[in-house]
Amino acid sequence: MDGQEAIVFQGLSRRFGTRTAVSDLQFSVAHGSVFGFLGPNGAGKTTTVRMMVGMLRPSQGSIRVLGRDPMSEGEWVRSRLGVMLDNVGLYDRLSAAQNLYFAARIARLGAAERQDRVEAALNRVDLWSRRHDRVSGFSKGMRQKLGLARALIAEPQLLILDEPTAGLDPANIVMVRELLISLAQESGRSIFLCTHLLAEAQRMCDRVAILQEGRLLTIGDPNQLGSHGVPTVRLTLSGGDGMAVGTLALPQGAQLHALGGNEWRATVAADADIEPIVAALVAAKIGVRAVIPEQISLEEEYLRLVGGKDNA
Amino acid sequence: MRDVMTVMWKETQEFFGNRRFLWVFALAVLAMGVLPVLTLAHHSGPLASVTSSLGALFRGLYVLFAAVIVVGNTAPDLVLHERVGHTLDYLLTTRLPDYAIFGAKVLISFAIGYLAAMLALGIQLLATGLIGGAGWHWLILALPLGRVVIFGISAGLSLYVAVVGTFVALRVGEQRAAYLVSILSVGVLLIPFLVGWIHLSLTLPWVSHAAMIFGAVAVFLGLVGLRIFRRDMLVLYLQE
Repeated sequence: MDGQEAIVFQGLSRRFGTRTAVSDLQFSVAHGSVFGFLGPNGAGKTTTVRMMVGMLRPSQGSIRVLGRDPMSEGEWVRSRLGVMLDNVGLYDRLSAAQNLYFAARIARLGAAERQDRVEAALNRVDLWSRRHDRVSGFSKGMRQKLGLARALIAEPQLLILDEPTAGLDPANIVMVRELLISLAQESGRSIFLCTHLLAEAQRMCDRVAILQEGRLLTIGDPNQLGSHGVPTVRLTLSGGDGMAVGTLALPQGAQLHALGGNEWRATVAADADIEPIVAALVAAKIGVRAVIPEQISLEEEYLRLVGGKDNA
Repeated sequence: MRDVMTVMWKETQEFFGNRRFLWVFALAVLAMGVLPVLTLAHHSGPLASVTSSLGALFRGLYVLFAAVIVVGNTAPDLVLHERVGHTLDYLLTTRLPDYAIFGAKVLISFAIGYLAAMLALGIQLLATGLIGGAGWHWLILALPLGRVVIFGISAGLSLYVAVVGTFVALRVGEQRAAYLVSILSVGVLLIPFLVGWIHLSLTLPWVSHAAMIFGAVAVFLGLVGLRIFRRDMLVLYLQE
């Protein structure tokens, strides 16, 4: 394996004719982490996932999943993956239990183990009582949960999930979120999560990447993506004018940005404190009415990066 | 082989939940079992359906029709319902090797077609026995030629239609179009055989050769299919 990396993208690109679906992806996903893969529709997420599972050959660059090439060693890689695509893809003519038995047979589990795993998986997603029901009668939320149970049946090392909470009610969203976090924490399993729910990504993911038109826009900790790791506060001032504030001598690495009216945003160096800025303002006889630590949400950063279009 | 069996297990489970398939299967078997016996009895009297060797071969042709109708429906459906239900994408993300996905679909279509042929034969035997009242020893299986048609050609033809139907479904995205293209492809390729059936004297060697040629062509096509079928080709087709 590539050290501590579950997935490594190296200049990964994929073209369909003249259209570039994925362009020069270069990043990695650590073992045991929950990684969020975000982007509007058509950003290239599905194409990337298809290359990760060896369904599509890259046009350029390479990809290593659990240390192997999914195209040349597809069976080895796929036998260690649990995949749930956005369409889930359950067999409507089969019951919930039969769908899971099929997945367990594909994983070559023995008869007794199949039985145990299917029972445990259905219990885990609260579908044991519906095990004999045909999937054609299931709601979207039940399908999502069953798809998740199927992805888990072989106890994979890496889970690739496309919108696992789509169609779930709030209680089930919480259930799935906690399940995914516990899976990542308890067994050191890696989770690659494609989602449009930015608040969910911020809660669940250790790192996120934002993709648009096949290109990687940014990658990092979802809680620090907007501020790029730099402490930020919002200041409400009184007295003084913009000119006076703008010409203040600030500590090295500190900056003040006008937000309009008496509102200013102050940033300082990563390991510095905000106090010197406040002291400089007070020394210049500019009143400081409020100092509020500010965290730019993942949603704000996402909308800033993808141009504010609501196409997530 | 274990992976092929896994996919075949799933397909078998699905058949019991597929009402449309069950209707097509039952109607094809029943029609191809009863119609030739009633037709012969109506035109030439009850005994003609059990005594004439030409009549026996006429009934044999209906056994083949049962196989073609059932496999012509089943083979495309096995691929297309996976595409419509998005389960094909799931299947391609599993560890199943390419040959298991393609091979299982061909084998299960073949098995179902052959089962339909045998059931149609069974119904013919029953109907002939009831109408002719002449006992089972008169029936088509008493003739060596009949045995080759029933067991040999129906097997070769089922396999042949299964391979063609699966190929067609991999390239044609719409369900009805896939059925039509499958049946037409098979029909066109069957013309030399049918012309021979009508115009040549039906000797045992001729029919035996026909059975072997169908079998050989089907196996060859199947092997070519296994060789060239790769999951990334299918995904490319779906995306374009």
